[in-house]
Amino acid sequence: MTALLDISDLHVTFNTRHGRVTALDSVSLHVNAGETLGVVGESGCGKSITALSVMGLIPAPPGKIAGGSIKLNGEELTTASPARLRALRGAEAAMIFQEPMTSLNPVFTVGEQIAEAIMLHQKASHDQAFKQAIALLDRVGIPSPDTRARDYPHQLSGGMRQRVMIAMAVSCRPKLLIADEPTTALDVTVQAQIFDLLNEIQRDFGAAIILITHDMGAIAEMADRVAVMYAGRVIESARADDVLDHPQHPYAHGLIDCIPNVGKGDTSLKEIPGVVPPLHLLGDGCAFAARCAHADARCTREKPVLTDHGHHPVACHAIEEARL
Amino acid sequence: MTAPLLEVRDLTVRFALPRPRPFGPRPYLEAVRSVSFTLAKGRALGIVGESGSGKTTTAMSAIRLAPAASGQVLMNGTDLLALDEDAMRRQRKDIGLIFQDPYSSLNPRARVADIVREPLDLMNIGTPATRMDRVRTLFTRVGLREDQLNLFPHQFSGGQRQRISIARALTTNPQLLVCDEPVSALDVAIQAQILNLLGHLKTELGLSYLFISHDLGVVRHVCDDVAVMYLGKIVESAPVERLFTQPQHPYTQALLSAAPSLKRRKSQGYARAMQITGDPPSPINPPQGCAFAGRCPKAQSRCRSERPEMKVAGDHKIACHFPA
Repeated sequence: MTALLDISDLHVTFNTRHGRVTALDSVSLHVNAGETLGVVGESGCGKSITALSVMGLIPAPPGKIAGGSIKLNGEELTTASPARLRALRGAEAAMIFQEPMTSLNPVFTVGEQIAEAIMLHQKASHDQAFKQAIALLDRVGIPSPDTRARDYPHQLSGGMRQRVMIAMAVSCRPKLLIADEPTTALDVTVQAQIFDLLNEIQRDFGAAIILITHDMGAIAEMADRVAVMYAGRVIESARADDVLDHPQHPYAHGLIDCIPNVGKGDTSLKEIPGVVPPLHLLGDGCAFAARCAHADARCTREKPVLTDHGHHPVACHAIEEARL
Repeated sequence: MTAPLLEVRDLTVRFALPRPRPFGPRPYLEAVRSVSFTLAKGRALGIVGESGSGKTTTAMSAIRLAPAASGQVLMNGTDLLALDEDAMRRQRKDIGLIFQDPYSSLNPRARVADIVREPLDLMNIGTPATRMDRVRTLFTRVGLREDQLNLFPHQFSGGQRQRISIARALTTNPQLLVCDEPVSALDVAIQAQILNLLGHLKTELGLSYLFISHDLGVVRHVCDDVAVMYLGKIVESAPVERLFTQPQHPYTQALLSAAPSLKRRKSQGYARAMQITGDPPSPINPPQGCAFAGRCPKAQSRCRSERPEMKVAGDHKIACHFPA
């Protein structure tokens, strides 16, 4: 079975005042049709940049896809023309952003904005598109959708705005839905509603979802498979249960152990010491070496590569040498 | 049970709204409606709730940073709300405050040593030399280095800034620390560092925390007692273990089942124990009965007409007509 989305050896660089920095360093991921891939990591680890490169939305300059390939349904995206990308965005792959207030246009009604996407990709008149928009609003659980469609974004609550974003994203039945921290700005009860809605949408529309998050709890509830990212590299990738129950990489381990869990009340949390190094200060070795309790000379010298050492793919010298 | 450090009785906070017409009566929004709670010495009381539930307003008006309309706040037996300005100012050395956003809560133009020392200058405690000693001690205590004393806030990471904020709050050796979402702006790995620091400080210095958070996992980790707020009222309060294992109010149950947990797996086809729909009602025209009735799966006609009183069963308090 070929994957719906296949990212291989992707390099993205940015020109900054510190010189050229590598934001994504040989990232390889794949998403099968109808499944949810969770991409998890701290801020600055490259999870959003991965999503933006799939959508062809890397600001260039200063950003640049420096190498590798992104294939959606077998079609290469890194070399696709801007016009082709515009046709694909929304129709084949759609994105839900973190902050629904800033990603909706404040001067158009939400129904109008959903209808715009429909008219752009399908042969529909304005009336038909607006009717479809109302049906979509109903589908994503907005009460009295025909009046709400005539509301402006500021008249809706945060949770409703995110529902509008989801309605817009699924309006043309994309095969791939990228949700970039869709619930970070929302309350937990609303977050739970949005997660349930995304799972429902996936069942009904059969869309594959890439869920970008920093929350391992969200991964547990949403993801089939997980890629853990750190400083622009994928350091561990496996089925969600494998990563959650048997994390291999010391960083993945730390990420899971440092969560204060609702289910248990420990007295002391495991900490990961230090902070993520800035991208322009990354050396030749493993980016996590300075924070890692198992690091040795080889870790500061040589970058570990994602390889399967018996359990599932992980990029760590200590595991490769069975020191862990 | 030790003597209470802080006892809040029937605290009500009102904000004036614009008059609907000239010379008409001024409408008010009741952000906090007769809230009572007790914080014992050396304990941490968590206030949880969704955004707009009044948790921050409660804490801020309890320490007179927001004007209260009525009620009493007894700190060691003194009513803070009845003190004159000068006496309140003297009282402030016993109260420390940590804000949510470590970026906007530190003066970008001041060196961090001056930021941490300023409370001592304002309170006129000690001599300039002893003040600097105090700053140095605090800096090491919160996990910063002495050679960082003369840097500016922007030279620190988010977690380090929060450490500076904690050091500043501790300068005057307070008894009470009000923490307003102290870790919600931080990455999970950094959250654990700050939560552990707060935990150590509490035991070592015998501090009491009034801890505001929307993250139930964090609250369970830090707090001894929890009060759940909904639309300006406390709906349930209990010792932390009891509240998490035997929640009685439907809203608490819904909050707990909405919080992401590593145990709820997509692979096992998770289902939430309880799902609530919609958003909280507007505090401008709060419902006549129970504020949660509109979203509550157990609501009956009595819930909509009659506001439930707080029922006390030992240290567990519930405001619900039909607790489970």
